[in-house]
Amino acid sequence: MSFRKIKERIMLGLIAILALLSAVPIFAIIFSVYFEGMKHVSLSFLIDLPPPPIGDKAGGIGPALAGSLILIALALAIGGTIGFFTGLFLSEFSHTKLAQQTQMILQIMVEFPTIIVGLFAYTVLVLPLKRFNALAGAFALAIVIIPYIALNVKEAYKSISFTLKEAAFSLGLSAPTAYLRVLLGAAKSGVLTALLIGMAKAAGETAPLLFTILGSTFTYFAGLDQPIHAIPLLIYNFALSPYERWHQVAWGASAVLLTIILTIFLVSRMIIRGART
Amino acid sequence: MNTDKAFRLSLFFFTISSFIIVASIVVSLIATSYPIFMRDGLSFIIRGAWNPVREDYGILPALLGTLITSAIAIAIALPLSISLAVFSSELIPGKFKIIMNNISDLMASLPSVIYGLWGLFVLAPILHQFVMMPLHTHLGFIPLFSTRPVPTNLFTAGVLLAIMIVPFASSVIREAYSAIPYYLKEAAYSLGMNRWEVIRMMLGYIKSAIFAGTFLALGRAMGETVAVAMVVGNIMRFPKSLFDMGYTISSLIASQFPNAEVYEFMVPALYGGAFMLFIMGLAINLIGFSMMRRMVVHR
Repeated sequence: MSFRKIKERIMLGLIAILALLSAVPIFAIIFSVYFEGMKHVSLSFLIDLPPPPIGDKAGGIGPALAGSLILIALALAIGGTIGFFTGLFLSEFSHTKLAQQTQMILQIMVEFPTIIVGLFAYTVLVLPLKRFNALAGAFALAIVIIPYIALNVKEAYKSISFTLKEAAFSLGLSAPTAYLRVLLGAAKSGVLTALLIGMAKAAGETAPLLFTILGSTFTYFAGLDQPIHAIPLLIYNFALSPYERWHQVAWGASAVLLTIILTIFLVSRMIIRGART
Repeated sequence: MNTDKAFRLSLFFFTISSFIIVASIVVSLIATSYPIFMRDGLSFIIRGAWNPVREDYGILPALLGTLITSAIAIAIALPLSISLAVFSSELIPGKFKIIMNNISDLMASLPSVIYGLWGLFVLAPILHQFVMMPLHTHLGFIPLFSTRPVPTNLFTAGVLLAIMIVPFASSVIREAYSAIPYYLKEAAYSLGMNRWEVIRMMLGYIKSAIFAGTFLALGRAMGETVAVAMVVGNIMRFPKSLFDMGYTISSLIASQFPNAEVYEFMVPALYGGAFMLFIMGLAINLIGFSMMRRMVVHR
């Protein structure tokens, strides 16, 4: 074998090994989370209040799960609306200077450290209300997901064929009817995927919640202007606590969160594949 | 015609809200942090101190922590993400390609708090026993490894960050790689190059994409908060080696902010740190974007 041949073998082997190595952690993480977490997950785990740190009392993540669902819904309502219409603008007025600059701003927002968004929400919604509150958390999450939704909605509307757009407008439809009723049907799978991406992001983000919702452990929901809990925040707090029992709850909560994320991921893949065929 | 106009106006309104949000974030960072810059000036950035009782703050150790952890992350992630991109676009057949890309996308969408939990309870002990302790015992005379490690430290944070940013860097590289015109590859093979030589040539061709991916991943690494806060050790002091416990700017904010209101200058100090983080991140991302754009123009 020539030197070149040997070198080729070595380098290709190295690439394969490094590539497979980089995929190892995701499997290790999924395995650990389900192995450590599933021991503690049951129906009552999803509903009950967290256990005291000492002792063997069963308990759960009820308030955090309820809080997360509320926060996700609120964040999607705020961020989804802004993101959707921004994406529509980017697609339909892509030639304008404003669209180009918006694109730039959105890309910067994607890369924004989310902890800064949390500080911002603290400044504008926690300080004036003098209380940690659900709305501040939802607002922070909404800011985080706007760029993801906008950029994906833009792609969805961009992918509609020009003839279809022409046809819609040649019928004499008004712009809202054309975009929101006729063309939304054609962009449906893309828009849905965009919302799912935003949803997954809102479900998993922790940093924007650190200084906004406080994490009320003993109430499920007391109002938008009151503290609320969330699964990622519970995992973070409990994992950093010194108590073994709370570590177990953190693993259980991670299994729940991972299941939510994996479900959203699989559904969005199925939508994408369904749209292709 | 009136509904059209109203519709367009509402689109415009929603679109500029992103500008308003970003602008207000910048304004709130500056407005809240300016007392600390007025009081201490540059010494807030170039000194190390964290003594709330004496209202004495200097964030240099945390800045260094951010730089060290992201440098470790990039050093590990770069070879991995290039390999992953090449492997999934060149070395495996189409079906596996889709699987590999899906795995990579899943890695990108996993919440950072799950990375953090796994990093704290699984990765940190493994790294401690099989990497850091051996390095310290056998190569402890090298300053980089001189501190006797505990499981959570800057090195652990760097490795965890590397794992987290690989999918981002590799997807940028992968996209550029698959956009290389096919005739280039054909020409290379017809010259008698073997597969590795072709790959090396192609990687040279997308050099700017590799830089862009690296910079975008670097921005991610610097801004990451909770995963790092869970494994970095959270101590404010100048790191003596890679194995020392420390802080990054974002983990400093995450763990100090909850009791910051009690002190007069701590909130401004933390916003000052956030402002520095924002500036560094913005600079790095703008470099990354401009490289990506150059790549497009290049073609």
